[in-house]
Amino acid sequence: MILRSLIRRWDGLLPLIFVVLWALVGLVSLLWTPYALTDTDGYSVWAAPSAAHVLGTDGAGADIATWLMAGSATEFAIVVAVIALTAVLGVGGVALSVAHSARVRSVSVLVIDALISIPTVVIALILAAPAGASVLAVILACSIVYALNLMRVVRPAAAAAARSQYVVYARYKGVSEWRIFVQHILPQVMPSVIITVSHSAATAILAESGLTYLGIGVPAHVASWGQSLATAARFVTLHPATAIWPGLLITVAVIALNILGDAVRECADPLTNPLLRGDRTQEVKN
Amino acid sequence: MKKGYSGGSALPADKRAQLTRGTDDALNAQARARTGVRAAQTGRRIVQNVWWPMVSIVVALALLISAVVVAYARTGDGSHGVSGASGAGAHSHISIGLQLAPTNLDIRQTSGTALDQLLIGNVYEALLTRNEDNTVSPGLAQSWEVSADRLTYTFHLNAGMTFSNGDTLDASDVVWSIRSMMEGHLQGSNGVANFASVSAPDARTVVLKLSKPYSELLWNLSGRSGLVFDEQALSGADGSGADASGADGSGADRSGSAYDAKTQALGSGPYVLSAYEPGVSATLTARTKYWGEQALNRRAHIQTITVRYFADPQAGLNAFTSGDVQVLAPISGTLTGAIQNDARFTYKTGDGTDKYVLAFNNATGGGSAADGTAGVLKDKRVRQAIRYAIDENAIIASRGGTDAPLGGPIPSLDPGYEDLTGLYPTDVEKARTLLAEAGYSTSHPLRLRLMYANTYPAEIGQQLRSQLARVGIDLNVQRVEFATWLSTVYKQRDFDISMVDHNESHDFAQWANPEYYYGYDNADVQKLYAQAMEAVTDSERDSLLARAARLVSEDAAADWIMNYRVVTAWDKRVRGFPLTMNQVNMPLWNVTFGTESAGAAGSSVQGGAQTARAAGADTATAAAQGGVR
Repeated sequence: MILRSLIRRWDGLLPLIFVVLWALVGLVSLLWTPYALTDTDGYSVWAAPSAAHVLGTDGAGADIATWLMAGSATEFAIVVAVIALTAVLGVGGVALSVAHSARVRSVSVLVIDALISIPTVVIALILAAPAGASVLAVILACSIVYALNLMRVVRPAAAAAARSQYVVYARYKGVSEWRIFVQHILPQVMPSVIITVSHSAATAILAESGLTYLGIGVPAHVASWGQSLATAARFVTLHPATAIWPGLLITVAVIALNILGDAVRECADPLTNPLLRGDRTQEVKN
Repeated sequence: MKKGYSGGSALPADKRAQLTRGTDDALNAQARARTGVRAAQTGRRIVQNVWWPMVSIVVALALLISAVVVAYARTGDGSHGVSGASGAGAHSHISIGLQLAPTNLDIRQTSGTALDQLLIGNVYEALLTRNEDNTVSPGLAQSWEVSADRLTYTFHLNAGMTFSNGDTLDASDVVWSIRSMMEGHLQGSNGVANFASVSAPDARTVVLKLSKPYSELLWNLSGRSGLVFDEQALSGADGSGADASGADGSGADRSGSAYDAKTQALGSGPYVLSAYEPGVSATLTARTKYWGEQALNRRAHIQTITVRYFADPQAGLNAFTSGDVQVLAPISGTLTGAIQNDARFTYKTGDGTDKYVLAFNNATGGGSAADGTAGVLKDKRVRQAIRYAIDENAIIASRGGTDAPLGGPIPSLDPGYEDLTGLYPTDVEKARTLLAEAGYSTSHPLRLRLMYANTYPAEIGQQLRSQLARVGIDLNVQRVEFATWLSTVYKQRDFDISMVDHNESHDFAQWANPEYYYGYDNADVQKLYAQAMEAVTDSERDSLLARAARLVSEDAAADWIMNYRVVTAWDKRVRGFPLTMNQVNMPLWNVTFGTESAGAAGSSVQGGAQTARAAGADTATAAAQGGVR
């Protein structure tokens, strides 16, 4: 139902097409790329686009298109993992911060407020220090920071819902705390959760690029858009074309995810989506 | 999620306003009206929904493209601009852009050639001077004699030498400097091997005695081992001390406390260090009364020199093209393309002793017990396979072709050099065969780790990984902070393969020292090296070193990826900047910027008083000096 209303609108369809294409390219890259990731040719570095190298080659003589394709897979995995982890961690944190027990509530709020002051880069550094740079470190660093952000954004609304009459009533009826959260509080805050998570997905792409540029993101042999951008950035004044492609992909992906997040929120909200309302009136009638 | 939402507190303000007007029915009615008539108000909202993503994408693209255009314009428009000022006279200030900054200035306690580069020959002076061709000539000592048994060195010092604080520099300072260095095991102390004693028969004579001959002594005394410090100023022992930034020669500005060697420097050279910002810059100011003007015919031509450090090559290039620095050393071979067609600038490659050493862990043999490959690099076939598999020329070509291939541990400027590139030419088939004998192939690859500091480009690691993958080695490249490399590889010896640029000159001792991180223990090499150090003549020493170097290379104790050569770029109005080995030895007294009185600009590179220079040397600098005008 949500999907159907999503593809009916431009700002739902366009980013959705991009995301599907992105996933497809990522999938294809797992099976086939124009060259192997490890192929380099020192005698043709910074080559201009040609039939052999559609997007040219980078400073090691590796095929840029190959690395970008393989990067799509890494990037998609990072985004999906960050969305999932952010949602789980964030919603869990929200549940704690609006818990019935005043002690749990105040302690968790205090912890969230304290931890939210730590920047992504610092967390990534801490995670990357013992084990070296890895995709997992990027995912964890992003998820932790964005989950904290989500808790902070969503908590007021959740707290208001937790004070509402029907929650009091449900509690009086003996409904368990967990069920109260899932059935009565979570639906109330779902729109802002969706917005925050989609924003996190977009920011994760930027964070991956930034962290990789700093050398604490994905390791050197793993392809990612941030990796391609970091490689190209050093010689951007000499070979600007090599930086455009990863830059463009990152830009478009970030815009697409943000727009998609907005669209999903509107489509999933019965206040703005008549289809869902139709559904609900039927349910009520039955 | 399909469950309806009730309550309004979680919603944005506009939604809440709608909600107060009514229920779902009201909304549905509104929606019907929307689909039917498409009222102007709601219509605008839909149009907004369609257009704002489009507009933002277009804006983002426009920004990106304009950024590229600006970048092009900045690199391309070079032909006009500053060079219009060609009529201007000599400048009294110049800025020099370098890459690696010293961590502090304590040259007696801190290693790293960034210190040698900045201070030796500029602020501190050694007993002997190191020339651009890596030979030695007089410095603080105007002449010297070596006894027939090669055990006693007698140095005759120049007269009238002073430190920049006005203190006299005589034989007692030399003796104190060498003696305290040896007793404290300070930096440079291993450059005086077999040390027996040092003494000063009179104020202008120093006698240094060895217990066994040591053929590298004179060369070492032109570097850190031969530096002479002002004991009073360094220790503050006489109570008067000195101000490091020094009121030169006047002696009036004495502060009465020792100078802080970590942030200050006080020597006898043509420049004083007037400002120092760790990691950022250092400022050198010419001394007013430099003792060497007569004795060495050296005079600082430029009043103040600012040395700035750019860890990021691109930032260095930007500073150079925008005129913030007039010299940039090094500039990467790839980046020279940005200034190639710029009439204001020129660049040239200088020889150096930088060796990109891909060192194998010869002590443990690397590998991991987990997959049964522990000690795999002790198998000579594996080491040889790696050397055959690596295409050094491809790596050099990808970097702009300015570096030179290097087949062994001794580069062309050092004694004992021999072209060993023919020992292990690139031969993928041979590499595969050797690896197959050792039990590995592309279908059953050998997993090895390569760790190197992120000061070296990622491309090298990527290329090595690629080249070794062809023959059946899965190279896991770890590019880490230099400090991590230092503790993991250099100190803990926890590595399979390491890569580092060993830029020191005369450093073959590494291969004769099993304690070094290479862990290379070869009795024949050690014996040859010991003989070389006790050699009577230089040619005997050189041939012994050459034999030892050949053994090391044949044994495939490491792969030498290249002899990195420094490309220096400079504003064409700058003359006299040293090009050879300028990352280790960068005397700046002869540098000029802009027109100067003809005599000074045309003076010889290392000073007229010297006679020991080989004829025809320093052609690179001569070309640099020739300049345009």
